Amino acid sequence: MNLPSSTLLAQSILAGIFTGALYGLLGLGLSLSWGMLRQINLAHFALAFLGAYLTYQFSTSGGVDPLLTLLMIIPAFFVVGLAVHWVLTRFKITPFNSLLVTFGLTIIIEAVLQWIWTADYRRLESTYAEHKLQIATVYLPVPELITLGLGLGISLIAWQVLRRSDIGKAIRAAAEDAPIAAAFGINQQALGLLLSGINASLAGIAGVCIALSYTLAPSQIYSWIGVVFACVMLGGLGRPMGPIVAGFVIGISEAITMAVASPSWAPLVSFSLLIIVLLARPERIQA
Amino acid sequence: MLEIQTIRVAYGAATALWDVSLNVGAGELLCVVGPNSAGKTTLINAIAGLNRVSAGKLFFDGEDITKLAPHRFCDRGIALVPEGRRLFTGMSVRENLELGSYTAKAKASRTQSLEKVCALFPALVPKLENPAGSLSGGQQQMVAIGRALMAQPRLLLLDEPSLGLAPSIVLDMFKVISDIHAGGMAVLLVEQNVTMALQVAQNAAVLEEGRIVATGTPDELLAQPHLRRAYLGLDAEAEA
Amino acid sequence: MKKSLLLVVVLTLGLGVIPYLGLPAFYQSLLYMVFHWIALATSWNLLSGYSGYFSFGHGAFFGIGIYTTAVLTSQFDVPFLWTLPIAAAMAALFGVVLGVISFRVKAVRGELFALLTLAATFVVATIVLNTPIDGGPGVYLSAVPVPSIGPSPSATFYYLALGAAFLTVVIALLIYYARFGTGLFAIHDDEDVAEVMGVPTFAYKVAAFALSCALAGGVGGVHALFVSYVTTGDIFTVLLPLTVILMSVLGGTRHWAGPAVGATAITILLYSFTSGDSAVLGKVAMGVILIVVILFMPEGILGGLLKRFARKPAAGPSAADAARFGQASSAGGATPSPSAAGQAQGGPSGKAGTQGHDGGILLSARGVSKSFQGVQALRGVDLDVQRGEILGLLGPNGSGKSTFINVVSGHFPLTSGSMTFDGKKISGIGAHRIAGCGIARTYQIPRPFAHLTVLENVALPAMFGAHQLERRRAEFEAWHWLEFTGLADRAFAVPEDLNLHQRKFLEFARALAAHPQLLMLDEVLSGLTPSEIDEAVALIQRIRAQGTTILFVEHVMRAVMALCDRIVVFNQGEVLAQGLPAEVMARPDVVATYLGKPAESPPQPPEPAGARAYA
Repeated sequence: MNLPSSTLLAQSILAGIFTGALYGLLGLGLSLSWGMLRQINLAHFALAFLGAYLTYQFSTSGGVDPLLTLLMIIPAFFVVGLAVHWVLTRFKITPFNSLLVTFGLTIIIEAVLQWIWTADYRRLESTYAEHKLQIATVYLPVPELITLGLGLGISLIAWQVLRRSDIGKAIRAAAEDAPIAAAFGINQQALGLLLSGINASLAGIAGVCIALSYTLAPSQIYSWIGVVFACVMLGGLGRPMGPIVAGFVIGISEAITMAVASPSWAPLVSFSLLIIVLLARPERIQA
Repeated sequence: MLEIQTIRVAYGAATALWDVSLNVGAGELLCVVGPNSAGKTTLINAIAGLNRVSAGKLFFDGEDITKLAPHRFCDRGIALVPEGRRLFTGMSVRENLELGSYTAKAKASRTQSLEKVCALFPALVPKLENPAGSLSGGQQQMVAIGRALMAQPRLLLLDEPSLGLAPSIVLDMFKVISDIHAGGMAVLLVEQNVTMALQVAQNAAVLEEGRIVATGTPDELLAQPHLRRAYLGLDAEAEA
Repeated sequence: MKKSLLLVVVLTLGLGVIPYLGLPAFYQSLLYMVFHWIALATSWNLLSGYSGYFSFGHGAFFGIGIYTTAVLTSQFDVPFLWTLPIAAAMAALFGVVLGVISFRVKAVRGELFALLTLAATFVVATIVLNTPIDGGPGVYLSAVPVPSIGPSPSATFYYLALGAAFLTVVIALLIYYARFGTGLFAIHDDEDVAEVMGVPTFAYKVAAFALSCALAGGVGGVHALFVSYVTTGDIFTVLLPLTVILMSVLGGTRHWAGPAVGATAITILLYSFTSGDSAVLGKVAMGVILIVVILFMPEGILGGLLKRFARKPAAGPSAADAARFGQASSAGGATPSPSAAGQAQGGPSGKAGTQGHDGGILLSARGVSKSFQGVQALRGVDLDVQRGEILGLLGPNGSGKSTFINVVSGHFPLTSGSMTFDGKKISGIGAHRIAGCGIARTYQIPRPFAHLTVLENVALPAMFGAHQLERRRAEFEAWHWLEFTGLADRAFAVPEDLNLHQRKFLEFARALAAHPQLLMLDEVLSGLTPSEIDEAVALIQRIRAQGTTILFVEHVMRAVMALCDRIVVFNQGEVLAQGLPAEVMARPDVVATYLGKPAESPPQPPEPAGARAYA
């Protein structure tokens, strides 16, 4: 092990925070679906990549600012989320089977992505990528700052909405005891559709962030699944701040591992942590 | 006000209620008593919209609510205090009460309703921000009743409110129910604790193995052998 | 079973001829992949499909096998074929370690188990990547000599893969028909009930997991040399378990041949569309098929076909079985006939049971307490059950009656106190051992094994209970109990098709099939109509006439009065009263418990709100 300089350490920690923010953004929709709606939506990742590719396309060939594509992606994906939830509830799919159905959807989306954009790597060249802030000796690239802002901001908003607003409380009540919630006027199906639509929009937003910072290839969809599920579980199902906080923990531990040992050791830390929590405190992870 | 006409309700694969008919008038307190597994909870859940009625009809204020969606019952003026309380344990007492007034109509008078509930149950005031799951059984029962009152109902349904509570608290509970009734509320009360129930009831019905076997005023029922047989089996022993 | 085995053997032999037919290389490669995936999917199904513990870690064990072979051949010059059993053993070892750790934690089921195994995959991958096992650049096996089996090097791999597929499918088939398989299927439907009926759930799960991993490891070993260059990135992914799950679910996870059918279909589908646009089409088709199958055909292609074309089996035990097992009854062994059943109560203790109240205490509880997260459900219960009696357990809701039954049967461990049964201590031993001592119970809300037929439901406790009968004998006995409870004409129905009355009687039959000395009935009459209750009461009297001791939790008073020799009244977790029914029910404290204490004074007129402070 070689001990890095303080600058390198600081930069690593920052990199971990940025990565963690994206894990959290991706994980938020997944956590809310699983915790509140009892649906394990594997297609969340494929949708994110669809959003990423759309951002890439509109930016590259249409010259549209990547952040402006959000205006189109958010409503379009909302509708997709509605549709998926409707199908899953119409057929009364069990939580585990929802994993399988959304896996099928993932395969389809991945195939479509490959058909339209091929398996070649695509990189979005945006004006954002050219800028970075500097504080003392560390650099903060703008795309990553955008991701951090969006991730943190949306998580905080979700947290407050769930905590304080009537609708948020209704969602939590319906998740805990749907029949009694209904006895007080809470329409679980309508709320479920709403939440599902929002989760899909979140996937789209995450996709824009992915496009800003990462090179895209359809097969990349699968490489995020493991670590984001780890964030979701460690953060506690259904807790809006859970994925991003867990994301920071995992991101920073990965980054430090990369700086101190070698990059390839990084997954060991996050997944060992997950295994330990699963065995020692499984109830913490339940919804 | 509430009219139940020969309903049949299933519980899982079995029929739990057979041709049950009951009426609750405005401002009336009706008690349904009977042994365990007689179908009391199934009956109350059917009235609250939680259980599907497979035959027969339910009328509330003249409206046929048999096929109404479950989440619309509260709007019509029916509020439920479920068996075992069933509070939203992950949320605070205040949030539970607020959720009671989720419907638009109840929401408008949420603040006043909350004040009234706090006046009715002063012991809850210091506990408003505590998680509902951390309260004692008696306090949870208060929250459950309060939650139902927040919905501004005209018919209050209570499912075995004395369940799992110490006898002294049961006494207080029935006093509260009596007070609420005295304020003009129609109440349908389902209970295992026959003595207490018959003390507060205006009218009562005995449910046994899914059928109504007797109705009348408390005095009439206590004079009948039905209760002794249904609860204690003493008649059968005397015949043997 | 023998016909299926023959079919597999014949098919394998037939396929064995193909390398000699001189077909284009494409077909041999395609068939290699088909066999490869059949072996992987079927091995996955052994644990995950049969028992319901969906593992997302199959890639880890496949990868362990790959790397074992890769390292042994390239670094240590071990001959290739020798590395295969070693690869299987390494994978099995890891599987056992992971299995023992995860199955000990009761809460780790379903999604948690899936996630645990997925995380394990990434941990293994990282370790492999960062140690001299791989180190980074991957491992080249091009220099490793390929043994010659058959006419060409590619034929070698063909035969190795065929062998792996054959081995895996045969193992799956044998398990399917063995008691191991029945136990796994019971675990799938209701693990807790299976345990209480005598299935050693922990041992079975670990064994299935180890076997599944070993086979995956072996397949990995073969594949290492086939691809001749291995890297962690391609192997330790989430895609492999997802594909294996897809194939098994498509074919049908409850059947030994399901994964093979699914694997064949998907592999051929994917490889038929290999070029350009049509590759995309193939994948889209695969996704659509998966969605359609889950939505409309959750039991898979094979499951759906079998359901439709299943032959109606014979409506009773075969004459051959009757001859074979009927003989045994006169020899005085464990027999189903009612008159001789008294002797059958001997059970593992060896003592013959007695008829009537011959005295002698069968079950004894002393100071039994049970608390759940601060809620005290049982407080120091002292109770004796006399041999041959019907003891009623009464009390209001929440008084602890069902908890007591759950503690005796081993569903819940007790917090303190002790219990002895037939002289042996049963507090603290596993539930499946308690079943082995001769205790059986029914559930208030029937919990039959949903995917097993009525007959199989009843045969299972006979197979795993005190007498550990082999399958055919157990099924023969099951027929007897079905006739005893009047369910013989529904023997091949699934529990879903029965009404509540029949399901309750199925609970009876299941409990009786274990030949228990003590039968515990938990509110077995609730929900029944009056005439059904009369039938049930008659049945219980017949059961007692055989010499079985009965512990009877009930609320229906006329049944309690008609049946019980003695009753015990619980209240708030303690024993309030015991004795003869008429005496106990006349006691004022018992009356108060049931009808509630009268108020000290009639209700006051409404007091000003807030005037009373509540506790």
